[in-house]
Amino acid sequence: MKKIKKAFIPVLSVALLTPTFAQTIHAEESMSQVNTPAIELRGTLDHLLSEHFALAVLSMQKQYDGDEGAQAAQEALEQNAADMKPAIASLYGDEGAEEFDRIFSAHNDYTAEYVQAVKDEDTAAQEEASAMLDSFYVEFGEFLETATEGTLPSDAAIEVLDVHEQQVEDAFIAYVEGDYETAYMTYREGLSHMFDISAALSDAIVQQNPDQFEGSVPLTAAGDLRSDVSNLVAEHFALATLSMSKEFKESEDFDFVSWAEDENTADLKATISSVYGEEGGEQFEQIWQGNHILAQSDYVNAVKNDDEAAKEEAQNRLGTFADEFGMFLETATDGILPAADATELVNMHEEQVFTTFDRYIEGDYDGSFEKYREGYAFTFDIGAGLADAIVTQNPELFEEEAAVPEMPQTGMGGTSDSGMTLQWLAWILAGATAGFVGYFGVRRFRTNG
Amino acid sequence: MKGFVVIALSLLVIGCSTTDAQDRDESLADEGVRLQENDQTIEPYTEQTIAEEFNLDQDTIDQAERERSKSSEITPASITIPTLDINAPIVEVGQLDNGQMGVPDNGDDVGWYEPGTKPGGIGNAVLAGHVDDRTGPAVFFDLDELEEGDSILVTGEDGEELEYVVERLESYPFDDSPVDEIFGSSDTKQLNLITCAGIFDRDVGTHDERLVVYTSLIDDEEDEELQPSSPTELTVQGTLLTWHAVREDHVAGYRIYSVDAEGTETYVASVSQTERKAIQMTDEQENYIIKTIDYFGNESDAENVTVAE
Repeated sequence: MKKIKKAFIPVLSVALLTPTFAQTIHAEESMSQVNTPAIELRGTLDHLLSEHFALAVLSMQKQYDGDEGAQAAQEALEQNAADMKPAIASLYGDEGAEEFDRIFSAHNDYTAEYVQAVKDEDTAAQEEASAMLDSFYVEFGEFLETATEGTLPSDAAIEVLDVHEQQVEDAFIAYVEGDYETAYMTYREGLSHMFDISAALSDAIVQQNPDQFEGSVPLTAAGDLRSDVSNLVAEHFALATLSMSKEFKESEDFDFVSWAEDENTADLKATISSVYGEEGGEQFEQIWQGNHILAQSDYVNAVKNDDEAAKEEAQNRLGTFADEFGMFLETATDGILPAADATELVNMHEEQVFTTFDRYIEGDYDGSFEKYREGYAFTFDIGAGLADAIVTQNPELFEEEAAVPEMPQTGMGGTSDSGMTLQWLAWILAGATAGFVGYFGVRRFRTNG
Repeated sequence: MKGFVVIALSLLVIGCSTTDAQDRDESLADEGVRLQENDQTIEPYTEQTIAEEFNLDQDTIDQAERERSKSSEITPASITIPTLDINAPIVEVGQLDNGQMGVPDNGDDVGWYEPGTKPGGIGNAVLAGHVDDRTGPAVFFDLDELEEGDSILVTGEDGEELEYVVERLESYPFDDSPVDEIFGSSDTKQLNLITCAGIFDRDVGTHDERLVVYTSLIDDEEDEELQPSSPTELTVQGTLLTWHAVREDHVAGYRIYSVDAEGTETYVASVSQTERKAIQMTDEQENYIIKTIDYFGNESDAENVTVAE
């Protein structure tokens, strides 16, 4: 599988969630570079489009398995589509929003029909549903071209949508065939692809309506950072909740979901290392794995075995993780993210992960998906806050926008590697190494070993 | 691990011949053949069962055990005991109304207790034959001459042959035999031969003792066939040691050992097949090995990983 597709500079932060905290960061600045109107648009699309992918895969698996939560998953998917409407309406009016909704909702229905056809081994119905999905992205591509007045040409839009549909289909078919490695490799690529779509889409929208966005643009270094960090944190949430229910149910594909989680950890570590050096990455990994990823697994087994003491121990370890990680972030960001605030947000995130799981095994599927959507959205606040802290901490890396050419629309290239972000990584590493040297308090975490 | 045959015979009485027979007064008291230690591994670090160690359902393991046992079971057709020059057909017998195991109606056949374990299966399969009949010696007349290590061959309906080896001989009073031991459950594949012994008691109409020859299956294929594969893709990722699951039937989980510079293996943890295939490495050991364990306690070869500097 592709290694690090994007350049990340993670360190979880929190700014958007706690106004006082954000004010602390920006006390002497007029506006954060990661929260410009154009980048906010990009962030919103990142969230809703990637959530669409995550929920579509979940919903298809559950429908195919005959899982009792299948209906709730499909409803969550529909609710996600409904949540896109206000954003579309604010740009293209109610009529445009209605047209968007008509096209987009229909494609969710075709997807459900596709799953049913596969389940029934009804080849004719499967081909018909597949053909309907093909016509969807043609129609949707044309809608986007019209809406953006040609800024986003339909053939380019159709191409990226085609890639998306193919990834959804491939991940599902591999799942059905028991080829779980392909299923979750495709899942990771497919989720990431949604961030490329939103980059292209937000760029077209902003180009079309520059005044609405106060002259800000979405494809900046700070915008890329926010998007990339959000991708990894959101993926962590999606895989954590997925692996917990798979482990609880002893699903055949559980090992492959936990493998995907390890890949996600490796990408996070690589990101941290790219900014804070190998030692920083190793400290992150040590904190992240034992009392977090493994404790989450231990919690599932404690619930399975009805072992209250083990359950409590797992929860305590997650508390330790939140404390250690908060401290890690404070140190990494040179105090821009206070440990106490970061710890509180990590705890909120964990509560969302565990409540999603607890409700699911209790049979409260609607409640579980409600919490899932809340938790998934929260990771984008984390991504934004984190990126904000890094940009604030290292303004020299992000302020020379005039000297940097506007980015090409590399998101249109399907699954190919994004040259844009790799360039940024190289640039950051080359130009900024001196700025980072020695400032990260490595020793502080040694005692935890 | 309980066998699946539970037999509630109140008495083990075999209806040996009831008429003029040679009185025999053979003492079996000094046979002195001791039951060999069964070779099931008991891990030094734990007294847990596989089900407890790997958080598995005992019923699932028992079920697998039964299925595995079935694969080597046969319906017996004849018995051969080379050292005694015995070669006799086997007939099926059941349980009589009085609770006794049935016997063949002649002195030439050997009876297999059909409600019980099949030869080749896990548990005690039981064969009985007369020591004598109204006219003289019968099929198992020389059974008491068997010695530890002698071979017993049982051939199935389809020609399959099983070889058992004599473990020990025991004689019991005719009305006081350890029927649970003879007919009950066992973790191993046993075959027990029964005949009459001792003095014929005309008042009671039976010999006063029963001779039981305990034998066990030579099961050389089993270990090789059932040894699970070793885990693969052992990877050190940060402080985690991860590996890929072995996707075979009846894998219970994995045992992880650390290996120090002297090569001493120290048990670290057991991870169930249903759990995340990862442990956190907590010490400074440089090497780890992982073995796959199946439901039946078989261990795979060790797979090594070296923690990179």
